[in-house]
Amino acid sequence: MRNDGNKAKKKTSISRETRIKEFKESLKEFWSDFKQVKYGIVGLVLLIVFILMMVLEPFIIPFPEAGERWSDITYWIDNPRSAAPAWVNWFSSKKNTVHEFLTEPELQVTDTPQFQVVEAEFNYNYKYDIPPGELTLKALGKGNVVVEAEIIRPDGETINLVRKNFNTRNETEIRIPLGNEAATRIINFGREFESTENSRNVQRHLLKPMEILFSKAQEGILVKPEPLKGDYRINVKAIIVGKDSYIKDPEVVVSGKVFGFLGTDDARRDIWSGIVVGTKWAIFIGLLTAFVSIAVGIMYGVTMAYFGGWVDSLMMRIYEIFVSIPMLPVLVVFSAVFSPSLWTLILFMCVFYWTGPVLTVRSMALQIKEETYIEAAHALNASTGRIIFKHMIPQLIPYAFANMALSVPGAIVAEASISLLGLGDASVVTWGQILHGAMKSSAVLKGLWWWIVPPGLMIALLGMTFAFLGFSMDKILNPKLKTR
Amino acid sequence: MYGQYAIKRIIYAIINYAIIIFILSALFNASMEATLRSQIEEMIQGEFLARDLTGYTVEEINELKALRRDELYRRYHLYDPMIVRVFWRTYDTLTFNLGKSTSVTSSAGERNVSIIVGEAIPKTALLFTVSAFFNILIGIFLGIKKAQKPGGLLDQSTSILTMIVYGMPSWWLGMMLIMFFVYKLNLFPSGGILSTPPPTGFMYYLDILYHMALPVLTMILLRAWGGAYLIRNIVLGTLQEDYIMSARARGIPENRVLYGHTLRSAAPPIVTMSVMSLLTSFGGAIIFEGIFSWPGMGNLYWIALQQNDIPVLLGNLSVTILLYMAGLVLLDLIYGFLDPRIKVGGKK
Repeated sequence: MRNDGNKAKKKTSISRETRIKEFKESLKEFWSDFKQVKYGIVGLVLLIVFILMMVLEPFIIPFPEAGERWSDITYWIDNPRSAAPAWVNWFSSKKNTVHEFLTEPELQVTDTPQFQVVEAEFNYNYKYDIPPGELTLKALGKGNVVVEAEIIRPDGETINLVRKNFNTRNETEIRIPLGNEAATRIINFGREFESTENSRNVQRHLLKPMEILFSKAQEGILVKPEPLKGDYRINVKAIIVGKDSYIKDPEVVVSGKVFGFLGTDDARRDIWSGIVVGTKWAIFIGLLTAFVSIAVGIMYGVTMAYFGGWVDSLMMRIYEIFVSIPMLPVLVVFSAVFSPSLWTLILFMCVFYWTGPVLTVRSMALQIKEETYIEAAHALNASTGRIIFKHMIPQLIPYAFANMALSVPGAIVAEASISLLGLGDASVVTWGQILHGAMKSSAVLKGLWWWIVPPGLMIALLGMTFAFLGFSMDKILNPKLKTR
Repeated sequence: MYGQYAIKRIIYAIINYAIIIFILSALFNASMEATLRSQIEEMIQGEFLARDLTGYTVEEINELKALRRDELYRRYHLYDPMIVRVFWRTYDTLTFNLGKSTSVTSSAGERNVSIIVGEAIPKTALLFTVSAFFNILIGIFLGIKKAQKPGGLLDQSTSILTMIVYGMPSWWLGMMLIMFFVYKLNLFPSGGILSTPPPTGFMYYLDILYHMALPVLTMILLRAWGGAYLIRNIVLGTLQEDYIMSARARGIPENRVLYGHTLRSAAPPIVTMSVMSLLTSFGGAIIFEGIFSWPGMGNLYWIALQQNDIPVLLGNLSVTILLYMAGLVLLDLIYGFLDPRIKVGGKK
């Protein structure tokens, strides 16, 4: 302390450059101390990873509008429902169909005087054990269009799937779920190969068209299908009648059982995109809440110590009232009654979090107050604000940083808890919101672990990052804790 | 002297509680009154349905209803100015007159909020004292082991564990454990406090323990390391004292030095820490209990939220705060009892 005092006394008279130099030196000193703490370095690396995730968001998520259109079902319509992450295939002996888009078919256009025929041939190489959930044919069309589709299997069998008429005035998206539309035809195809006994015993509503479509044509196709791997060809024929009619961008969506890096939830949303979008909110909520509340707490503690007397007593009483309120229950009831926006929620969290550093700061400030350089500042007729902000608070900055890092996780967990209950700001995709969706559709019961594990793990990891940073700073600044 | 200190502390706490309840009453006054008004309307409708109204014209009935409404509004102070209404709400809350719920009922079907909340308290208390007990036990044992070899493998690994679980939401860990132990391994029940139908006799208590296992395990996995870390620091500080060195020099067995001398003088901070961790976990219990459907106060928040029952929500909140503050007062009293220096300070 004595040493610090001397340094600060000099500060008032020395030029700006030397002060910056001094600051740089103390930073260097801190860094050389920090380097010694292994978990501190781990925390720093993790923090950099999180920040990179935040900065590179548009480049690493497959759905760039995930943040804005999280609850817009049309944005996610092409994704499979409740699909596991794609890497699940590495660990299972039975491979799940990976979600895939078949684009750029071989096109053939024939014109006749009355109509135009567009033929598109999609090739699909099926190499999995568990068939897709659905094959969806989609295209943009206008006017009077007749669409036909058939599938040619690797064993040469052909199944006519659908024939549908469309008549629209404006350009609309045509979507034909082939398995659903052609269920009867596909099942009848299966019955041709199945023994009569099996065919009679099997219950129709339990049959899955896709399973039959992608299975070997042999006895047992209905009851115990074996996958038929190979090249499938989907032929789509569109007959376009009329001058203004057209069809374009034909595409087949193979709804996989596994999808992307983290799978999808039961509203077809890509969880990885949600996680990445949530990162920036978690960091934002955590840092803002921690910064504001620690700043307030430090000023409060210093003010208490500086003025002393009845001001100290009064402020202590107010402090006591705040610390005797359990934060989360009040926050929950508050959110339930007022349904706050994210900003109000952060503000309300600050109302409770500022109490954290007050007592320590007060006792530290009481020591600083007795230093001679404060006395000197008094003698120079420095104002109260100047003494507090220029001479006392800077001494507490290192402590403030450690404390701030350690309050970040609490704020993130508090927001996640509120969101989990469905009381958060629904317009913001936070990890808590994702978990709220999982809770609502009882993902725990359904075993959709890829929906529950990642958001919670991210909260825990980010919390751990700041804990590593906070504890390592604490260790450097608080020599008592050093292992002897 | 201790009595004076205790009385002063309790009176302060009561004043603080009254102030907090006053602020909350002011904050939630509007929504509470809206609920009260609709409850009064409901009551009037019920009364007039039960009454024999033959011989009255529609106007007369409406007039009678208005009279009754007037009377009830007067009884519930709804005509008074804002500040008086808030004052009455504060008074009601402080006297545990928490009003009637809109849809949540107690197990006997009653709609008195005090009874509903009162039913939940013992269950929460049970869960949290049991887990606190195990936490403290493990914390003390582990903390002393850590302090014996600071910087050793055990010390470092458990310290790292403390930091790893530092920001982990307890309810998330609960969900993970439920998913693994309940739905994968089928080892524990998924929630609740008793099986249906509840067993009788000795099995009744075993059944409660069986249902409690998973939530308690969650709490231990999350909190024991932090407790051990704090106890390690406290014990490490005490081990530096001269009288420990002299005890060792006198040839007193190491175990007696640790568990007798060290632990005795380190007791006040350890007690503080334990009660404090119990209180913080109680404050965060809302979501935790909901995940395990443990029918305590935290679960009551969930139910009240789902049914949008404002009186239960606010009544539960005021009782939660009361218990929390009572815990803090108890903490101070124990500390003052264990550490005589505090009492002297209180007399000043």
